[in-house]
Amino acid sequence: MTLSCAEIHRARPFLGTIVEVHASGAEQPALLKGVELAFGAVRKVHRLMSFHDATSDVSRLNREAANAPVKIHPWTCRVLAAAQKFSAQSNGVFDITIAPLLQRWGYLPGRRLSRIAADWRDIILEPDHFVRFRRPLTIDLGGIAKGFAVDRAIEALRKAGVPQGLVNAGGDLRSFGAAGHKIDIRHPLAPGQAAGSIRLSGHAMATSALYYSRRQKGRHAVSPLINGQTRRPCVDDVSATVIARDCLTADALTKIVLALREAARPVLACYGADALLIERDLAPRFLSLNHAA
Amino acid sequence: MKPHWIFTALPVSAIVAPSAYAVTYLSVEQAQQSIFPGKSFTAAPVKLTADQCKAIERASRIRVLHNDQQVWRVSGGGWFIVDEVLGKHEYITYAVGLNADGSVHGVEIMEYRETYGDQVRNPKWLAQFTGKTKAAPLELDKDIKNISGATLSSRHITDGVRRLLAFYDVVLR
Repeated sequence: MTLSCAEIHRARPFLGTIVEVHASGAEQPALLKGVELAFGAVRKVHRLMSFHDATSDVSRLNREAANAPVKIHPWTCRVLAAAQKFSAQSNGVFDITIAPLLQRWGYLPGRRLSRIAADWRDIILEPDHFVRFRRPLTIDLGGIAKGFAVDRAIEALRKAGVPQGLVNAGGDLRSFGAAGHKIDIRHPLAPGQAAGSIRLSGHAMATSALYYSRRQKGRHAVSPLINGQTRRPCVDDVSATVIARDCLTADALTKIVLALREAARPVLACYGADALLIERDLAPRFLSLNHAA
Repeated sequence: MKPHWIFTALPVSAIVAPSAYAVTYLSVEQAQQSIFPGKSFTAAPVKLTADQCKAIERASRIRVLHNDQQVWRVSGGGWFIVDEVLGKHEYITYAVGLNADGSVHGVEIMEYRETYGDQVRNPKWLAQFTGKTKAAPLELDKDIKNISGATLSSRHITDGVRRLLAFYDVVLR
């Protein structure tokens, strides 16, 4: 009897988006087990880092860390440490303390918990996974947690012995396996259509754009993609795609590229990452080592 | 060194056909086995009365669009429901498994579709594509497998699940 090589493709709602997991190249039961473990990892990240869930690490930090150090899960700690590094390298362009603006513009629920102009420098990571805030502030990991979740899901698939896989959390994706995957990139002016495609193998890729999230607030357009340094939203018809070694890095770097455009090159170089900018009326631009402009 | 990725630009031009992105993940049977492996299912479809619709809307604060609800009774207790939600651009068919006590056992997306017909018909919007090439229409619904770039949010599914929990309270409980 020949053993059939199956392909499994599943999607479930997590992290405010639809998370897709593909697995192929082995027998169905092994793939199904890997896919369940992958979704288990995504669910765990969702529970730890959701802004909406009152029991998540993020909510506990926002409530208590200005008063006393809060002990959090090692995964949350890893994401916070990475966020701090991106903030330092981008001089505050990437900043997880912009949550009060997201609340004011209706992207996150709740009354603003903090008013003082605190920033990422007020977050102190202490030993043994304790975190405290020097001033009252509100964090949101929406710009980085999806990428981290994709990385953990990929790790779960690999550990389960799945030979080939792909995880896509609302445009933050990563793949592994011999064959590679063709990924289409939405056109920033026509999100139902592709501006082009990238063949990806063994790397992560994330795209940030505003086609679904831009809103009118009074006389001004707003979006959840905020430059932490200027505290202003990006409202242009532009999309930034970053290809990096892991998805957390790709996810965070798209925010820096959207804010800085060409000036993001030095930060990209730190991570050996490539970026693709698609803007209105301009040919796609590469900010990368392999495809120097 | 060989680049680890290759970008292929597609011609962007006045595309006449409405574009769509669609994926089918699971059939009804596959979704049943995914949420409740090894169980058997007995169809128990429900036709909602006007009063039931009102009660569900009051409890969930979500509008009920169809009064037909596809429901299965699960062997050993529990319910399996197939439902649809409709957003501005997306249409999602999904399945929810409920435990015997009415708590959510699992959610699976069965089919996901996006369409942009209106956007494409709007001449002002079309004019944004400053005719770079003549190009044939892109039949993306046939080609696209993976999309990078924000997918629409899962909020409609979250709302749909809330409506189904109210449906359980009003009808199945």
